[in-house]
Amino acid sequence: MRAMTGRAALGRLWKLAPLIAGTTAFLLLVIGLLVVYSGEESYRREKVEEVGVQARVLASTVVAALTFDDRGAAQDYVGALDVNPEIEAAAIYDANGQIFALYRRLAALRVPAPAPELGTVHADDRLSITVPVMQDKAVLGRVYVRAVLEPLTTRYERYAVIGLLVVMAALVTAVLGITQLALSRSYGELSDSNAQLEAQIAEREKAEEALRQAQKMEAIGQLTGGVAHDFNNILQVVLGNLGNVERHLQRGVDGDWRLLDRGVKAAIRASERAAVLTGQLLAFSRRQPLAPKPLDVNRLLGGMSDLLHRTLGERVEVETILGARLWQTLADANQLESAILNLAVNARDAMPEGGKLTLETANAFLDEAYAATEEDIRAGQFVVLAVSDTGTGMSPEVIAKAFDPFFTTKDIGLGTGLGLSQVYGFIKQSGGHAKIYSEIGEGTTIKLYLPRLLTAGAADEAEPASRSALRGGAEVILVVEDEADVRGFVVDMLRELGYEIVEAGDGQTALAALDQRRDIQMLFTDVGLPGSFNGRQLADEASRRRPALKVLYTTGYARNAIVHQGRLDPGVELLSKPFTYAALAARVRAVLDAKGEG
Amino acid sequence: MRWRRLASAAALPYWLLAAPASAQESQLEVAVKATFLVKFAAFVEWPVSAFESPTAPLTICIVGTPLGGIADQAAQGQSVSQHGLAVRHIAAAARGDGCNILFTAGTAQQPVAGALDAVHGAPVLTVTDLPETAARKGIINFVLRNGRVRFQIDDREAAQDGLRISSQLLALAVNVGAR
Repeated sequence: MRAMTGRAALGRLWKLAPLIAGTTAFLLLVIGLLVVYSGEESYRREKVEEVGVQARVLASTVVAALTFDDRGAAQDYVGALDVNPEIEAAAIYDANGQIFALYRRLAALRVPAPAPELGTVHADDRLSITVPVMQDKAVLGRVYVRAVLEPLTTRYERYAVIGLLVVMAALVTAVLGITQLALSRSYGELSDSNAQLEAQIAEREKAEEALRQAQKMEAIGQLTGGVAHDFNNILQVVLGNLGNVERHLQRGVDGDWRLLDRGVKAAIRASERAAVLTGQLLAFSRRQPLAPKPLDVNRLLGGMSDLLHRTLGERVEVETILGARLWQTLADANQLESAILNLAVNARDAMPEGGKLTLETANAFLDEAYAATEEDIRAGQFVVLAVSDTGTGMSPEVIAKAFDPFFTTKDIGLGTGLGLSQVYGFIKQSGGHAKIYSEIGEGTTIKLYLPRLLTAGAADEAEPASRSALRGGAEVILVVEDEADVRGFVVDMLRELGYEIVEAGDGQTALAALDQRRDIQMLFTDVGLPGSFNGRQLADEASRRRPALKVLYTTGYARNAIVHQGRLDPGVELLSKPFTYAALAARVRAVLDAKGEG
Repeated sequence: MRWRRLASAAALPYWLLAAPASAQESQLEVAVKATFLVKFAAFVEWPVSAFESPTAPLTICIVGTPLGGIADQAAQGQSVSQHGLAVRHIAAAARGDGCNILFTAGTAQQPVAGALDAVHGAPVLTVTDLPETAARKGIINFVLRNGRVRFQIDDREAAQDGLRISSQLLALAVNVGAR
């Protein structure tokens, strides 16, 4: 607003500029005339003074000459005026008014005779001054001096120079005024077109916003459609099989146990697929809670060999080229495994007739120049994993969209379109980047860059706890979960493992229970809780009251409460939903057994 | 002839008529000298001690000369500064006799040199009318140049006597004894 009024004020000023310029020019002219007038006046005064002095000096000089009738001396005195070129004629008169001595610059010049009246006469560029010659109070005679003033024309010539300067100054001012006028006009035009431009930009921004909104809605539509499609399939399997199981159980215990077993296993497999699906969704949204640890990619690949062969089948040959002295990186091993599997599955699907999958690792340094050529890439040292196939390859258009969520070239039901976006989301969340090199018919190479881990740290062995035998315990565990079914499942499982359970549906109840039962050793809580305490605040308060209390979080969706910048806060133990009986048993035992402050 | 003189006396100044007939040619010259003698007063400064008071008369003394009557006329009613002019005719000059200007043509009783000696060293402007070659002359001495009356000035003598002569007057002198 202030800028607007400032601009308006400036505009008004600019409109006044020509008027100001005109007034200035007029004033300059008036001042010029005044200067000429006062110059003329002071010139006249100066000359009267000058010639008067000459006359008086002569008058006082010729006293003795007049007294002693010495015409020669008087002539000498009056002749001395010759040195002043302005003096044209002069005369000394005796007491009777007769000429006593005379000076004329030119013989043709005349002087008045007898002596003229005392005083000053100014006419025709001539200034005549007559003064008395006095001795004491006696008048001895008169002195007459006539000077030629600088001709009026000469003076006017000088004034003309001044006038010319004044006129030029006035002209310059006027030109400036006119220029300002023109400028203010073009300034107005400029601000008009600027306003138009701004309006256009605003319109375009609105249109772009609308387009983004439409794209978002389209993406959400795709997402919900795709997820619903896959989930419906999964639920079909789960519901169908569980229904079968229920019917068989109702019929009595004489049922076919193998049929029951098959149904339950099918339901479990379908649910696991659902878990993978939600995991991919989270990965894409970069909201999955990563647990990055120092990682040796070569060792990870070594451990995946069997898995890859099983996934890819007989017709795909797998070659692994492990780079020597490979740097360590910091990443979530499970997620990297998922990413590699996703890439392997895509490669397999691109090679329906069979082919070769090459996994290659190396150290790479990306310099600033390279980083500058690509968006979203920072320079530095990376561990690069290249996954290449000899498949059908991708067109540039497909490459451009390959990392987009729900983009798939596969038929409906064959792919969710989340595989590569999981890869991309995970890599980005890990501080690296992914790049696709492909041409139709020439196969595809996807390179994953993971940042080098610069602080030394031993790469973790695969987590032993998850694969260890199921072990329970007799400790007292406070289970806090607002979802009754989930809480029921967890409580049942933990009781089965031998633990004593105290349950609560919200934070307040949980704290009350904690105060009543001094033997509670562990808090197992959902992160998202209703009421005034979320899981994190509950755990903090509980730990404040019972510093030795162990805490294990669970969540279906990592909240900011325990995840910052995509990573779990240090010291936080999290079991992501959905989890299996085995995973629950292992993590609970591991947390209870962990040393430290709990 | 007596009536003609009387008749002429009405037209001519008295001093012209009073002049001796033998010096008729120089009557004008004498008159000019007498007038000059009076006019010198305005161009000379005396020491204050030369007067009894600021308004005391400036006395012009004339020793044995025919200038007397004409000078009386010329001085009539004149004054220099606040001093009125007075003309005295004396037989002989003497120191301290109150003369400020002394014109002497010499008499048998007191020759020119005697008069000059008498006032030598006193602030008295001595005026003589001697040939240019004369050994002793007054501070101002009349001479003739191209038939006109001019004068010499001995400024050195004037200074010794405590007199200060106007530069305008010095400028009119035919020659000046420089200080």
